[in-house]
Amino acid sequence: MVSLIHFLNILLPLLYFFSFLIYFYDFMRDEKKFINVKRIFLFLTLLIHVIYVIVRIIKFDHPPITNVFEIFTIISFAIGFSYFILELVTDIRGTGPFIIIISFIFQLISTLFIQDLLEVKDVLRSSLLGAHVISALLGYAGFTISAVYGFLYLVLYKDIKLNKFGLIFNRLPNLEVLERLSLYSAVIGFISLTIAIVIGVIWLPSAFPDFSYLDPKLIGTSLVWILYAIGIASKVLIRWRGRKLVLLSITGFVVSILSTFLSNFLARSFHSFY
Amino acid sequence: MNLIAVSINHRTAPVDLREAVFLSEDEIRAVTKKAKEELFKEGLVLSTCNRTEIFGIPANSELSHLNIKGLITDVKPLKQISDEYFENFISRDAVKHLFNIVSGIDSMLIGDNQIFKQIKMGFVGFLMKRIFDSAIKTGKRAISETKISDGAVTVSYAAVQLIEKIFFNLSKKSALVIGAGETSEIAAKHLNDKNIGKLTITNRTFEKAEKLAGKINASVLNFSDFKNSLHNYDIIISATSAPGILLSKEDIKSSMKKRISKPMVLMDIALPRDVDPETKKIESVFYHDIDSLKIIVEQNLAIRKAEIPKVEKIIEEELYSFYEWYNSLQAAPTIKGLREMFESIRAEEVEKNINKFSVEDREKLEIVTKRIINKILHHPTAELKKTDETGYSGVARFGIIRSLFGIDSTKEEK
Repeated sequence: MVSLIHFLNILLPLLYFFSFLIYFYDFMRDEKKFINVKRIFLFLTLLIHVIYVIVRIIKFDHPPITNVFEIFTIISFAIGFSYFILELVTDIRGTGPFIIIISFIFQLISTLFIQDLLEVKDVLRSSLLGAHVISALLGYAGFTISAVYGFLYLVLYKDIKLNKFGLIFNRLPNLEVLERLSLYSAVIGFISLTIAIVIGVIWLPSAFPDFSYLDPKLIGTSLVWILYAIGIASKVLIRWRGRKLVLLSITGFVVSILSTFLSNFLARSFHSFY
Repeated sequence: MNLIAVSINHRTAPVDLREAVFLSEDEIRAVTKKAKEELFKEGLVLSTCNRTEIFGIPANSELSHLNIKGLITDVKPLKQISDEYFENFISRDAVKHLFNIVSGIDSMLIGDNQIFKQIKMGFVGFLMKRIFDSAIKTGKRAISETKISDGAVTVSYAAVQLIEKIFFNLSKKSALVIGAGETSEIAAKHLNDKNIGKLTITNRTFEKAEKLAGKINASVLNFSDFKNSLHNYDIIISATSAPGILLSKEDIKSSMKKRISKPMVLMDIALPRDVDPETKKIESVFYHDIDSLKIIVEQNLAIRKAEIPKVEKIIEEELYSFYEWYNSLQAAPTIKGLREMFESIRAEEVEKNINKFSVEDREKLEIVTKRIINKILHHPTAELKKTDETGYSGVARFGIIRSLFGIDSTKEEK
């Protein structure tokens, strides 16, 4: 079973990369025959990813959420799956390669550094941990997708302003749709992160009696949460829209990446488990 | 096949001549009537500002292209019209010419297939109906299987295409059209076609604005104070003949303050320009003039041109399919088709009911049913073989038999 896990671990980034290539080719050529081919390939990739996660859980006796590289494979899946559903529901084409490349990057990092952990700390066996991690992952997947759509918004915005009517102009959906996709993804991400924070706050004192409110992970996550709260509030209260809103979303995403990086690799946090 | 066609089009004649020979609906009726009485068994007349075309199956073998040109020159006796402005087609070339027209590759604006609407007019009989059905099928395939009609190829439509790249649902947007001339009218109509939520017209001459608004069901805004209302509009299209700038950067800047970062699209399709080009520097303002819209038009035309080989392939396929059908309209293929159809019905029924007969009777069943079919078909077969008529009458007769017994449809189903 371990050899199967290792095989799938190597296979997954390759599958995501080929999915990206098919989506990218379709983006460049816009041929109708690729609509189903690319969807089927992405679906198969996601299916194999599910099998990989299940086999890992069975073999190592814990869900793959106990360290950052295990979490990266779940984020990769969450982003790919969210996009797959989004494409099916909205039938908006042309944004696939920009999302799937993110799934590929997360999976590649996971594949390179993931370890076969048989022993995990007792604190990670809490029943609240699953809900905390899943909602946090949904939150970050939402922020990632929101940032990608925000980035695409800025590129298309600039192209239209500068009279560049090339591939981006012809293939991407219109600015208003990109803005909405970015906003809705951010709102879903924000709600999920809020749930993750609430569960974390409830669980934290019992799991880590000597934690500090100045922990880099807590500060980073709070900063991300505040940024998205400001963005959503400005949309609702001041009716901000367009470029300002997507810039906030991208800033939130960058801060959340930095926060993860700092708390897991540079600073010592109670959140580092390996 | 003796289809004959005469064409005066954008490749053969200058615009003034094309306009001069343009036939109104009444004139088309008159030409069609005359063609039916004097020249053709079946025929069709098409006329747009870019082409006038007459297609027909000659009533006699003496008919020449000159007679057909006469149909046009009788209605439009123009001094400057001469043979050099006409193109003549016969047989396969005439069918192909029609397919080229309907699929849009022979249009002045490549991919323009407005000619579809004209196809209904004429006195279409058995053969022409099939030709035009095939032509329409070719046109539909060209649209659905290629990009020959994709994208905007006029400046006013390119403006709408660009607007659609900024806003999602135009039914929730408001637009202001400044000017009431021809360009403004076309732009306003395009917006109406896209179900714009609110459409307002403003013009220096109020009556002209009212007249245009009445045509397209829009409201009118007083020109003297329209600048105070700019912030109410998501889209502003300006197409006046004013000599100078109508909307300054400051006008747009102050209206954007009231819009709280809500995007505004400014389409300046006037010459000279109505809107200060510096407005493009304002955040969330999308300013475009004729030059930038022409970029879209040229790109779309290039895409359409690149699709021509694909359309030509479709045309060849449909020509092949049409001639396969046409060649089947002979005695031998018709008799063969008729026998195959009866035999397949016989075989199907025998197979369904074979178990109701004893084993020793089954062979007899085969023999008896085959004998019945042979007897039914004996007389029609003999009559069909006797038919020595060639040309239109023979073709029409075989066509009727094939249609009556559904020989072609049975083949297609299989």
